[in-house]
Amino acid sequence: MANKHFACKTDEVPADAAKIVTVSNMPIGVFKLDDGYHALLNICPHKGAALCEGPVCGTTRETDSTEFVYDRAGEIVRCAWHGWEFDIRSGEFLVDSSIKTRRFDVSQEGDALYVHF
Amino acid sequence: MFIVDCDCHNYWCSATVLEPYMEGLFKDMFVRGERTGPRGAFPHGHRPWFHPEGFARHDVNPVAEDDNYLIMKEKHLDKYKIDVAILTGDEPIEASTLANPYYANALCKAYNDYMIDYWLPKDERFWGSIVVAPQDPHLAAAEIRRVGGHPRVVQVLVSHGAARPYGDPFYHPIYEACAEMGLPFAMHLGGQGGINSTPIGAGPSTFFWETHAILPQTAMTHMASLIAHGVFEKWPELKVVIIECGVAWVPSVLWRLDANYKALRKETPWLKRLPSEYFKSNIRMSTQPLEQPENIQHLWATLEAMDGENTLMFASDYPHWDYDDVNKLHIPPAWREKIFGLNALDVYTRLPRPMAHAAE
Repeated sequence: MANKHFACKTDEVPADAAKIVTVSNMPIGVFKLDDGYHALLNICPHKGAALCEGPVCGTTRETDSTEFVYDRAGEIVRCAWHGWEFDIRSGEFLVDSSIKTRRFDVSQEGDALYVHF
Repeated sequence: MFIVDCDCHNYWCSATVLEPYMEGLFKDMFVRGERTGPRGAFPHGHRPWFHPEGFARHDVNPVAEDDNYLIMKEKHLDKYKIDVAILTGDEPIEASTLANPYYANALCKAYNDYMIDYWLPKDERFWGSIVVAPQDPHLAAAEIRRVGGHPRVVQVLVSHGAARPYGDPFYHPIYEACAEMGLPFAMHLGGQGGINSTPIGAGPSTFFWETHAILPQTAMTHMASLIAHGVFEKWPELKVVIIECGVAWVPSVLWRLDANYKALRKETPWLKRLPSEYFKSNIRMSTQPLEQPENIQHLWATLEAMDGENTLMFASDYPHWDYDDVNKLHIPPAWREKIFGLNALDVYTRLPRPMAHAAE
């Protein structure tokens, strides 16, 4: 059974970047999206870089022609080092979904955010 | 063993063999116009490197036009029991160096008619490549549609020297025509002159041997470009054959392409697979000149990394100075049947498949 651990206050999470916290010696990024708060391990499965400290952004949707459809604004984090794109909600790498960073359930009590693991 | 030679050069003694296949303005230019050599020289923008010994093997010395076939038959086709020789011409791909695309196209048309008329009927082992001048892709596409339906034509051929990388949408009319006619698109080392002014990164190197060793640079650019521009998404059945550009560089370039794509895939949202996967499904490399490290295991590990069992096709480059001998090709024994012939059947789909069985 997962335990809940205090992460940060809601007003500490910016709208356009992650709040980086350390919980039980684990570096974690907490993100605020339209549907609520999400948390990812701040370690990139590629080379161990500070994944959550990269830009929160959108990306191009897969197309069948030379068309550039900017999509999913604010739902993607690009690793701070090599730029691999991850889905903030699932922690999955966009090019290969079998590669993912650990994600954590987040709960809110008043203005306090908790991660569960 | 069933053997397909994917790079067999049908020489001429003199380019004047094309005169009966030309007419009007371009025949006048061909007969009376300035040339890069004496009468009989093929018009082209010459490269700044001169081979110090000439390109041909010194035991191949045709005097009359028909000697070109007779010597090839004796010293290559019969001697090594070649079952299929894909004719790749020789000088005609140099039409790609000319600034005048209309003249270049006229020269290619004349060559294709000559090749179909003179070479293909000579030997049942011959299958043809039609040469096009890529500097005007619409003229090239029209030429592919004009002669690409000939049942013994098996590919479209250009030089690897080019004015821009081959994945550029500028060239896409050529691939549209290739796809329509069911023909692979091949690039052969050459065309490093005239309007194709950047065959070497950082500027022209100095010596011929030095240059010849690094000319695959251009092929790297074309391979990356074809993949990045999504040519194989637009035409998933299209095969691209890279001839005489070396092979050992391929894994390192694929590794780099995959790594960069993983970070920046958003630039090319039309791609749906890793660059290396497009390579394995759509690009084939001819073996000659196969690199020769002191430790053969170093080469074989490299070939394995590019799925060489399925992506390599044997080529001799007859009768050039760096010819590869069928009996001395240093590839893993278990891959021989595929590389010497079976892989080519998947690319040159007009070759009848029973040929492979008949040869066994």
